[in-house]
Amino acid sequence: MLKRGKTLMLPAWLSRYIDVRHAVRRRTSLAFPLSLAGLAGLVALFVAIPVVYIFVRAAGADLDDWQRLLQARIWKLLGNTLLLVAAVTGGTLLIGVSMAWLTERTDLPGRKILRWMFAMPLAIPAYIGGIVHLALLRPRGGLLPQMLENLFGQPVLTPSPLGFFGAAFILTLFTFPYVYLLSGAAFRSQHASLEESARMLGYNAWQAVFFVTLPALRPGLLAGALLVALDILGEYGTVALLRYETFSSAIFVQLSGRYDRSAAAVLSGVLVTLAMIILWTELRVQGQARFTQMDSSWRPAPLAALGRWRYLMLIVALGVVFTSLLVPVGVLLAWSVQSFLDPQTLQEVFRTGSRGFGSFAWNSLWTSTLAALVAVTLSLPVALFSVRHSGWISRFIARFCQVGYAIPGVVIALSLVLLVNRAVPILYATPFVVVIAYVLRHMPQAVRASEAALNQLSPALEEAARISGLTAFQAFRHVTLPLILPGLLAGGALVFLTSLKELPATLLLRPAGFDTLAVRVWVWAADGFYVQAAPAALFLVLASALPLFFLLRREQIFK
Amino acid sequence: MNQSRMISLLFLLIFALAACTPSAPATPSAAAMPITGATAEVVPSATVKLSAPASIEAASNPAATSAAQAPVRGKLVIYSGRSEPLLRPVIDAFKAQNPKVEILLKAGSNSEVANALIEEKANPQADLFITTEMFTVQSLAQQDIFQPYRPAGADLLPAEFIGPNNSWVGLTRRARVIIYNTDRVAKADLPKSIFDLTDPKWKGKIAAAGSTNGSMQAQIAAMRQLLGAKETEKWLVGLLDNKVTFFGGHTDVRKAVGTGEFALGLVNHYYYHLQLAEGSKVGVIYPDQGEGQVGLITNATGAAVVKGAPNAAAARAFIDFLISPEGQKLFAGQNYEYPLLPGVTLRAGVQPLDAFRLVKVDVVKAAQETDATFDLIEKVGLP
Repeated sequence: MLKRGKTLMLPAWLSRYIDVRHAVRRRTSLAFPLSLAGLAGLVALFVAIPVVYIFVRAAGADLDDWQRLLQARIWKLLGNTLLLVAAVTGGTLLIGVSMAWLTERTDLPGRKILRWMFAMPLAIPAYIGGIVHLALLRPRGGLLPQMLENLFGQPVLTPSPLGFFGAAFILTLFTFPYVYLLSGAAFRSQHASLEESARMLGYNAWQAVFFVTLPALRPGLLAGALLVALDILGEYGTVALLRYETFSSAIFVQLSGRYDRSAAAVLSGVLVTLAMIILWTELRVQGQARFTQMDSSWRPAPLAALGRWRYLMLIVALGVVFTSLLVPVGVLLAWSVQSFLDPQTLQEVFRTGSRGFGSFAWNSLWTSTLAALVAVTLSLPVALFSVRHSGWISRFIARFCQVGYAIPGVVIALSLVLLVNRAVPILYATPFVVVIAYVLRHMPQAVRASEAALNQLSPALEEAARISGLTAFQAFRHVTLPLILPGLLAGGALVFLTSLKELPATLLLRPAGFDTLAVRVWVWAADGFYVQAAPAALFLVLASALPLFFLLRREQIFK
Repeated sequence: MNQSRMISLLFLLIFALAACTPSAPATPSAAAMPITGATAEVVPSATVKLSAPASIEAASNPAATSAAQAPVRGKLVIYSGRSEPLLRPVIDAFKAQNPKVEILLKAGSNSEVANALIEEKANPQADLFITTEMFTVQSLAQQDIFQPYRPAGADLLPAEFIGPNNSWVGLTRRARVIIYNTDRVAKADLPKSIFDLTDPKWKGKIAAAGSTNGSMQAQIAAMRQLLGAKETEKWLVGLLDNKVTFFGGHTDVRKAVGTGEFALGLVNHYYYHLQLAEGSKVGVIYPDQGEGQVGLITNATGAAVVKGAPNAAAARAFIDFLISPEGQKLFAGQNYEYPLLPGVTLRAGVQPLDAFRLVKVDVVKAAQETDATFDLIEKVGLP
């Protein structure tokens, strides 16, 4: 079935030249718009609930709450947050773009393997990377400072991973792959004639890169930068670990402070508003990015010869791989071995019952799998409606389902705690609330993947099926679904991957005794039991690496 | 290639990171501030307990006479403000005695867990609440979150560690002390008071737990009651001006002082012993013992049975165990805490509290002033 799908699917590059939307608009009367629209609307409603609820709560908060919050440190925290967002976005652009240029446009040795190495840090949650780097570099207490002290007999000043610079450094290390992948694909897709024309008009090679190649990548890069910005905005764990205060920590302080959740709702409302502005910008930019594609005479740009810079550049690239991938994985491996060698720790890690390793791993796997299934299923009506019946309503619904991107985990959790306990108490304190949180948070991934899959499938196939006498549902079931299945699987893999690592919502929503791998790692590491936390962290990284591998294989540059 | 598809992929992947951002870490909040002694307001209510109508439920339940009952069974859901490692020894021991009970623990910061209990008032999930200090449990008791229970062993405990109307039971005591790194601080330079921590000579050299930590909140509440809001605010601002580094929990504080990253740390006394046991060069100061100084601030951990608890019998049996000689020995022996049950010996090396002048705080009043304490914390901007 999959094989048949492959031969029928339009190649990605070709689909760009066929105005699918236009072709579809004529067929609006053919399908099941009303029931489909209804279903899609229901999904959007479901997604909307937590956001709307947070805003209602925020609006309903006492004037006192608002005043107190406005007087307090909010402005400073907001400044801190924006500074970090700016720094990390800049850092990821610098590293991501330069590494992408090296692997896609130069004759750097080993670039095939390096591509994988640059993408794989995505399997490592930033807070796990932060834990490892902190254990290594912590001033005076870290392994490196201690080693140097033993070597030289006196304390040696080493760079600290703490505070603003530390947080920016760690977050850049574990976020840059987004920009790397995006700009890698963009570099690849650029037409050779672009730089050639620049050279003919008198630019040297460097000038061509800086004044022609990079500006042409701008829409894609901006989209990547905004993704990173959204991510950092909701970031809590890493910054908490590295002692840099951001806006999200204000929400947490409110949650662990007085017995009043209106204030937390107010802060959440403000944070979500901010995130929505970024998301809106991203959606606009993403729309524009479509118009930067190459024409039909496309051929790849030639590789630049690095010459004597070759090995220097290789060292720089390996340095990035070393700090963002080899060090975290290596240290986790070493700690895991250490925990296996110590019988007491081993017993601690692998106890049986609700606190055993097996139970965390199982909880992680089944909740993430269920979330992936539900999210992809729910995304189908939305994607069908928006792709096959394009119009302002369907586009609005599809856009609205992206709102999960703008809601940090802690806000979703807060909203669900308040909401589920009042509306569906029977669901409260069950693992299903955790699954609902995953679905809400990761719905955008599923919707985008389903839309992408449908966009590559010509509506002519469904049309033919309908003409041959199938009902709309039958046509979908027997023609469309089998053909878009690989795309849906990719969406599911993404939801699975990201749910696996979800921490804040899981921490707040899990019923007593229900721990996932991410929760366990965090609880152990928060108390400084790194060796105990390592096997769970390593398993988490490996379990994330698998779907990531599958997803990357689908992309051109990894084939 | 397919740039827009790659954009989608990345968007999707963003969550790989986003998901890793724990927004609400389970703070290891093991400590609490010590309050000593409840004042007159507490004691009378504590003495009233047996006759109080509030204890109907306890009275009607045979669990009140703990030790000899049949083994409990079912699920026991514990919400705890104490971090898991500090509860693990007693949970394991209780489980060994009652193999048919399945213990499910949700640990977080005191107020995080307290917020959950308030949220769940109409739909209770937890059986038992364990806290690191008495203000939170008393404050919840005032909001009618608990059902009264007076364990048989309660008569042996000092009366000030039983909540009004038997709403909660004290478990162990702890003192707020200063831990120091012996490599970084000379004996002669040691601070003698918590007010010395605002001395500019310690600028940037002190670690403490932040505003989300129950023990720190309780210390501030106690100081507010003792010295008034103004003085407390001055002290807090002094700490902030002195560039004190505030962590989420005390484990980080003790480790940072243990490695010498900081010279001084403000912690509960047992964190000093835990760090010493790891082989660090640390010492401890029981502050404010001099003439005219406020005295040592202490507090107590507590436990209470949640109203409407699905398995109240198990919760009661667990409380019985916690205040039994065996449970108290575990707290004292494994965690270096001060047992409340007279006659249980301290772990070697722990300085007896009798040797110190202790601060007296009114628990009920402190619990009533919770909001004012949080206002103060927010006003000064304690991280």
